[in-house]
Amino acid sequence: MANLNIDSIKDRTFDAIVIGSGISGGWAAKEFTGKGLKTLVLERGRDVKHLKDYPTTNLYPWEFPHHGVVPDGIQKANPIVNRCYAFGEDAMHFFVKDAEHPYVQEKPFDWIRGYQTGGKSLLWARQTQRWSNFDFEGPARDGFAVDWPIRYEDIAPWYSYVEKFAGISGNRDGLAELPDGEFLPPFPLNAVETYFSNHVKKNYKNRHVISARCAHLSKPNQIHLDQGRGQCQERTLCQRGCPFGGYFSSNSSTIPWALKTGLCSLRPHSVVESIIYDDKKGKATGVRVIDANTKEAIEYYAPVIFVNAAALNSNLILLNSKSQRFPNGLGNDSGTLGKYIAFHNYSAHMNAEYDGAKEWTTDGRNPAGGGYIPRFRNVYKQETNFLRGYAAGLYAYRGHIQSSDGIGQELKDNLARKELGGWSVGSHMMGETIPKESNFVTLDNSLKDPWGIPQLRISVDYDDNDEKMKKDYIEQMTEMFTSAGFTNIQTFTDHRAPGLDIHEMGGVRMGKDPKTSMLDKWHRLHACPNVYVTDGASMTSTSCQNPSLTYMAFTARAVDHAVSELKKGNV
Amino acid sequence: MNRRAALRNMALIMGGAIILPSCLHDDKGKAVVKLNNLTVDAEQEKIVNSLTETILPKTDTPGAAELGINLFVFKMIDDCAGKEQQADFITGLNKFADAAKQKMGKPFVDSTDKERAAFVSSVEKLGKDKNYKDDSKLMAFYQMVKGQTVFGYTTSKYFMTKQVVYELVPGRYNAMFPASKATV
Repeated sequence: MANLNIDSIKDRTFDAIVIGSGISGGWAAKEFTGKGLKTLVLERGRDVKHLKDYPTTNLYPWEFPHHGVVPDGIQKANPIVNRCYAFGEDAMHFFVKDAEHPYVQEKPFDWIRGYQTGGKSLLWARQTQRWSNFDFEGPARDGFAVDWPIRYEDIAPWYSYVEKFAGISGNRDGLAELPDGEFLPPFPLNAVETYFSNHVKKNYKNRHVISARCAHLSKPNQIHLDQGRGQCQERTLCQRGCPFGGYFSSNSSTIPWALKTGLCSLRPHSVVESIIYDDKKGKATGVRVIDANTKEAIEYYAPVIFVNAAALNSNLILLNSKSQRFPNGLGNDSGTLGKYIAFHNYSAHMNAEYDGAKEWTTDGRNPAGGGYIPRFRNVYKQETNFLRGYAAGLYAYRGHIQSSDGIGQELKDNLARKELGGWSVGSHMMGETIPKESNFVTLDNSLKDPWGIPQLRISVDYDDNDEKMKKDYIEQMTEMFTSAGFTNIQTFTDHRAPGLDIHEMGGVRMGKDPKTSMLDKWHRLHACPNVYVTDGASMTSTSCQNPSLTYMAFTARAVDHAVSELKKGNV
Repeated sequence: MNRRAALRNMALIMGGAIILPSCLHDDKGKAVVKLNNLTVDAEQEKIVNSLTETILPKTDTPGAAELGINLFVFKMIDDCAGKEQQADFITGLNKFADAAKQKMGKPFVDSTDKERAAFVSSVEKLGKDKNYKDDSKLMAFYQMVKGQTVFGYTTSKYFMTKQVVYELVPGRYNAMFPASKATV
C-alpha cells in the first residue's frame, strides 16, 4: 500500500468519489464539480479523450485492413462480444474482449462491456425516451417487483435538465405513454415510415409511429457549442467516436465539462475492489482500488460515494464490499442485493417490402435510425395474457440494385450501375421483462479475475411472459404490416442470451421499504445513506423504453440531493 | 535441371495425375504474398492472382492487380476465413487448377486472357446451376475469390471515389427526396 502518512491520506481525500465514467458516472462528475465539489472519478479502463483517442473516426472503408470485417481469430476468441452488432473492425478497440475480463455464466448471458473513459456511452445506440407513470406505476399496478418510490413528477424536471445539456432530437408527439421532452428538431420520417405512421394512426387506436428520439445535435444550442460540440453530420459512424461531438457521450460532453472546472480528478486504470465501510463511524468512508497495471491497492476517501460502474459491476462492487455490519454486501440488510435482475427482450424482428412510394427516396443518412412505436399493449389496463408490453423500432429504406453477376466488363458494369430498388421495411422488438428473485448475480466462491476480485456469477433467463410477449409482437406487427399492404413479410425469432440487448438492470433496486429494496427514493442505500447507486443497477423495473436517459436524470437528481445533504451536514 | 525439377516436369507431362510427394513442394517456390494462416506456393499464388484479374480485368478502368485486389483476397482468406473454409480454399484451388488444365490443355496461368475468361465464365455459370454439387470444393474456392474480389473492389478507394462515391460526412438527411433526383 502507498504511504500511509497524513499528507498522502489528504491527497487521496475528495469531496465526492464517482465509480465509473460511463453515461451516469459522467453526469455525476459534471454535477458534483458544477456544484464546487472536488471529485474523483475512477475508471477501470484506459483513458479515452474526445477526438484524440478515436483512432478510426476518420477512416474510409478501404483504410481498414479488412475493410471493416473482424478477423476470424478475433471472432473465435471473442464469441460473446462478437455477437454485439457494433463489434466491427472500426470499433472493436472500445469493447471488452471475452478472455480479459472473465465471468461465470450459470445461464447463458452475453455481458457486453466497454472499459474506458466514457464506457459504453461511446458505443450506445443513442435512443432516448422518457419514461411515464405507466412505467413507474407498473410494478404496483401489475403486482410484480416492488413499487417504485418515485413517480414521473419527481423525475420530469430532471429529464428536462439533462435533455437540454445532452441534446435530444425529437418531435413533440403529445403521447401520455411517452412524455415529450426538451427537443431539438427531429430527424423526420421518410416516405414509407410516414405512410405507415398514417396508416397506423387511422386504423389502430392508441398506436403511434413517431420519429425516433435520439441524443444527436440536429441543431445545436449555445450550451452544446459551449461544450465544444457541433451539429450532427449524419455520418452514422457513431461507434467510432464522433469528431463533431454530434452525439452525446461522456467523452464529448460531461467528462470534459467536469475537467474544465479544475475540480475533477479522473483516474483511469482503477479497478474498484470494494467500498470501505467504517463499522465505528457507521458509514462508508472511501473505496479500495486496484491499479489495473501495477495491481497495487490504493484507498481513496470521500464523505459521499456514487456507484456508477454499470449495472452488473455496481452489483459486484457492493457484493464484494463486506464488513462486520454488512457481511453479505454493502447495504444488504434486505437480502435483495444482486437479485431481481432484468433486461430487455430483443429476440424478435421483422422484414417486409413495400411496393409503393416509388417517387420518393432518401438522401444522406438518418442517425435516429427511423421511427419508433411506443408501447401500446396493456398501457391503460391489462388486456393480454402477458404482463407489460414492448416498443418497436420501425424503419424503411430504399436500397440499390447492384448485381455482382458475371465477370470482366460485364461485372464492372453491373457493380457500377446503381439503380434504386424497392422499399424495404424493418422492425425490431424491445420488450419489458419482469424482475424476479430467480434472476440474480452472485460472487463466485473461488474464481477471481486478474485483479484478485471474485468473478461475477450470472444467472438470468427469459420466462414464459417473455415468450408470450414475443409471440404477440410477431402477431401484431404482422397484422399491421399486412393491413398496410407490405408484402413478403418475414418474421424472425432467435434464442439470443439475455445481455445482448445491453440493457441489463436491477440488483440494487429502489423501493419504499428497506426490508424489500436496497435504495431509497434518492438512490441512497437505505442502510448506508452516503452511498448512492444511480446506474442501471438501481432500476426497480425495466419499462420498455431505452434506459440511458433515465440514468442521466436519476444521477443529476441524486447529486443535487447528495450535495444538499452535505451542506446540511447530514452526511 | 536437378532431379526434383525433372521429376516434376515429368509429372506435368503425364497430365498432372501423379500426386507429388510433399518433399517436392519446396521446389515450387515460395509465394510472394505474406500469409499467417494459409500456406500457398508460388504456383497457387499465380493462379489466384490470375483468377482475380480474369474476374476483374484491366479495361479502360483499373483491374484487380492494379488495385491490389489479389492481395486483398489473400488477406481476407488468410485472416477472416475459418480453418474449414481455408482448407476448402486450398482443396478447391487445386481442383480449379486441374479442371482448367483439363479444359484448356495447359495451366490456367499459361492460357490466354480469352481462354481464361471463357473458362471462368463456365465456372460462374455452373455456380448458378442449382443441381450442381460442389463435392470437389472448386465452387467454394471460386466463390470465395469472386466474393472477396467484388468486396475488395466495391470498397476500394478507386471504386468509392470514382465509381459510386462514398460520403464519409454526408452532412444531411433528406427524408423525403424525389427519386427522380437521386444521384445514384
